[in-house]
Amino acid sequence: MECELVPSVCSYCGTGCGVLFEVIDKELAGTLPMKTHPVNEGKLCIKGWNLHEHINSPLRLKQPLVRSFGRFLKTGWDEAIAIAARRFREIIDQYGPESVGVLVSAKITNEENYLAMKLARAVLGTNSVDHCARL
Amino acid sequence: MKARVRRWLEEGTVDVFIGYRQVDGHPLPYCFTRENLDALDGLINSPARYALEKIATHLASRQPDLKIGILSLDTNRRALNVLGIWNQINPENITTVDADDAASGVATPDDMRTFEPVVPGPYKQQVGIDNAMSPADAEAFDQSERFSRWMYEFEKCIKCYGCRNICPVCFCRECSLEHRDLIGTGPLPPDVPIFHLVRAVHMAGRCIDCGLCEEACPADISLRLLYRKVNQILDNVFEYQTGSDPGQPPFSLLGNQVTLEPKPLDADK
Amino acid sequence: MTNSIAEIEDAGCIFIIGSNTTACHPLIARRVYRAKEKGAKLIVADPRRIQLSRFADVAVQHRLGSDVALLNGMMHLIIANGWQAADYIQERTEDYAELEKTVREYTPEKVAAITGVSVDDIQHMAEIYATNSPAALLYAMGITQHTTGVDNVKSCCNLAMLCGNVGVAGGGVNPLRGQNNVQGACDMGGLPNVYSGYQLVNDIKSNEKFAKAWGRPLPDKPGLPVTAMIPAMLEGKLKALYVIGENPKLSDPDRNHLNHALEKLDFLLVQDIFLSETAQAADVVLAACSMAEKEGTFTNTERRCMRIRKAIDPLADTLPDWQILCRLSSALGYEMNYADPEAIFNEMAALTPSYAGMTYARLGLDGLQWPCPNADHPGTPYLHRHQFARGKGKFHAIGFLEPAELPDDEFPYFLTTGRMFAHFHTGTMTRISPNLNVEQTTGYVEIHPDDALAEEIRDGDMLTIASRRGEMEAPARITPTVRPGTLFLPMHFGENPTNILTSAEALDPIAKIPEFKVSAVKIRKFSEQMGKIPEETGAADPVEADAAAGSR
Ligand code: SF4
Ligand code: SF4
Ligand code: SF4
Repeated sequence: MECELVPSVCSYCGTGCGVLFEVIDKELAGTLPMKTHPVNEGKLCIKGWNLHEHINSPLRLKQPLVRSFGRFLKTGWDEAIAIAARRFREIIDQYGPESVGVLVSAKITNEENYLAMKLARAVLGTNSVDHCARL
Repeated sequence: MKARVRRWLEEGTVDVFIGYRQVDGHPLPYCFTRENLDALDGLINSPARYALEKIATHLASRQPDLKIGILSLDTNRRALNVLGIWNQINPENITTVDADDAASGVATPDDMRTFEPVVPGPYKQQVGIDNAMSPADAEAFDQSERFSRWMYEFEKCIKCYGCRNICPVCFCRECSLEHRDLIGTGPLPPDVPIFHLVRAVHMAGRCIDCGLCEEACPADISLRLLYRKVNQILDNVFEYQTGSDPGQPPFSLLGNQVTLEPKPLDADK
Repeated sequence: MTNSIAEIEDAGCIFIIGSNTTACHPLIARRVYRAKEKGAKLIVADPRRIQLSRFADVAVQHRLGSDVALLNGMMHLIIANGWQAADYIQERTEDYAELEKTVREYTPEKVAAITGVSVDDIQHMAEIYATNSPAALLYAMGITQHTTGVDNVKSCCNLAMLCGNVGVAGGGVNPLRGQNNVQGACDMGGLPNVYSGYQLVNDIKSNEKFAKAWGRPLPDKPGLPVTAMIPAMLEGKLKALYVIGENPKLSDPDRNHLNHALEKLDFLLVQDIFLSETAQAADVVLAACSMAEKEGTFTNTERRCMRIRKAIDPLADTLPDWQILCRLSSALGYEMNYADPEAIFNEMAALTPSYAGMTYARLGLDGLQWPCPNADHPGTPYLHRHQFARGKGKFHAIGFLEPAELPDDEFPYFLTTGRMFAHFHTGTMTRISPNLNVEQTTGYVEIHPDDALAEEIRDGDMLTIASRRGEMEAPARITPTVRPGTLFLPMHFGENPTNILTSAEALDPIAKIPEFKVSAVKIRKFSEQMGKIPEETGAADPVEADAAAGSR
């Protein structure tokens, strides 16, 4: 039996409370507040205490999907990425880079936001990058 | 002491030892196992308390015969007594090491972040229930003042359920706090004072006065005092001191397991 | 936030406007409780009577959209009584004279007429705010989601500077960010006009710097903000959209409008951990793993950049967002190879002055607050300490403007939208979390008892709520927390999509933020529910990939 308490940060609101994920035999068994964290000092709200639940949800996507005749088909990464790249390329070739927009996210990490904006600007060639945070 | 834990792990006296280690200056709970014996060099005592015995119950529920060692304070041991009485763990599988024992050789590093309990401010002292108050002092207010002071505290509640979630002796599969007919859902604060009183009643014979609930309460509600009061009644009426003895029968105010005879009400007056 | 969360505990006064803090930022609300118990004064201004109103020294429910008038009214009285911080204004600010001239017109009587707040209360608010320093001002979407959102924010800044509260510990102007990494998304350049660290895309120096670092020429005109992307889609100018971890179908204003726009796209690529409403409309869905399955950093509302750590392996055939981005980029002919998120962080920090002094090792478990310009810098708990970033703090003279839509004979009710404590944003994460979902399984609409009586509505009756843009149903919850004439709808419930009612056209002219907080609506009874809140409608049903026959 293995058990680990892995420090992380709550991904609900912008307060950014320190949590510990209780991992038992490679499964997320629970969430605890980090007692000595400068933001929350050992306390959490109802969302933070249940942070593991949405991660353990049976509704999680498990593999990429592509639409074919109105229905989603499960697919592998190579195909999904190839289709996405081909469609972006075709649209940019035909209508120019300004015909592409990217919505980044308040839910992904800084590193990922940085890469997404780099991809939009350096690779797709568009400055139409935004996020839905004001919504 | 580290050598002793090491030997236990090597010999199979325990399969896992739950203590603390330091990560980036913070004390965090850690499970030491046979596979990572060298990690034991980092075993420390923590100035910030976690309910290590609750982690133990999570492990035991998955593997009932698991032998678990726990770095324990007095409160951890009382909680373990209650958990044993209620069949949440098998006491035979639990070995404790006294964290307070200076001879244990498990140190608290000085360069480590610690947990500061709340210092009740003057306004709270004026209108609420000071966390440091004794049950007798809280009792001394006249009835309407007592009521309004407690209501002030309860109205701060943000319904995080932290008091329940952190509690080492809260293990019910179905919690009355989530019973829709008992406590409404929707707005904040939750139904006052029912939410808090339901929990208080349920802590009778369970609460071992560790104070973790109060440390986890974002609203600094004087929860410990509330439950202490309930248990004081138990002590006065039934001479039942929760968690004091592993051989105690379980106490249930509402169920059918009350095996204790109440003593006469005027016994200690 | 200009200041830190912990500092709130030591404020002399806390003024909360447009933030239901105990529900939306509970662990910031706890600092407010502590401050109050240590002796701070508390002022709450919110169109609803919120939990914190119970603890306030003054709590007012000003009319929806009247924030500027209320703030100007407070400033009028502060100046009239000479409570302003004269030395601070003299040394550290400019354009005070114009502010003074504008707020002079906002007499208490006039402000009372606009806001519905009594002259006495306005007087009280002004006096308490001005005479208990340091005063911390906290606000959230209740201030920003208006056509006058930027005006509202500037008015908050005016008030804070007027009393010398910016650049001091325990004071400040503190927007509470709704989502965990909004601050980070903005810091990282997730905006149409800036790179990371708010370096402008149309500034030659920054453009060259990034073009050089990335080895590609870069477009130098600002792009479209999300609110302009929708019309561009409708006009056929925007053909492809890549949506990462967002669910604009529920969060964008005027959902009918947006559905239509998404249908017009040639290609919609969505990357998420759930098959959200938006993902259901996609051509390709990229399955990302959760935050517990990867490494990285988040930046919270007090600018604290903190690490998240991998706790478990990615589920099934999912990948961390950063790896997906790398693969997509490489497939597009631009190789992206990073060993781990730390390598990305280091590249970003080298290009971003406010993060330049940060490394994973330095972040530890506490994180660091930007600006942190070099390896020895301890981070910055509060901004503008000795001087404002731009030199002098600028006052903006701002007049009150009515919201874009006001109730009239046809649409007699004010409608405002918001959140409840157990749910989050569009509900994609919380409604599938059993412990959170039990707290509130359906949407609802809050209505004042007086209005309920007049309309013969009982608690739980199903109401149809209609605006100029569309209509939706929700069960009534009768409560005195809203003002008579005002309705409140939470935004979390896909089967009761509030944004059918709100307007995508009413935008703040500068920030392009939609006016979610004010619309005009009418109601009628849809069905009687015998005073019972109906059970779950099942609209958030699991959509298994194969079963999800798409209708785009
Ligand atoms: S625990 Fe609650 S207050 Fe803290 S970050 Fe998560 S959602 Fe926000
Ligand atoms: S003090 Fe609180 S946490 Fe500890 S046993 Fe009692 S109720 Fe549980
Ligand atoms: S911990 Fe405090 S705030 Fe949370 S539910 Fe319990 S009493 Fe309420």
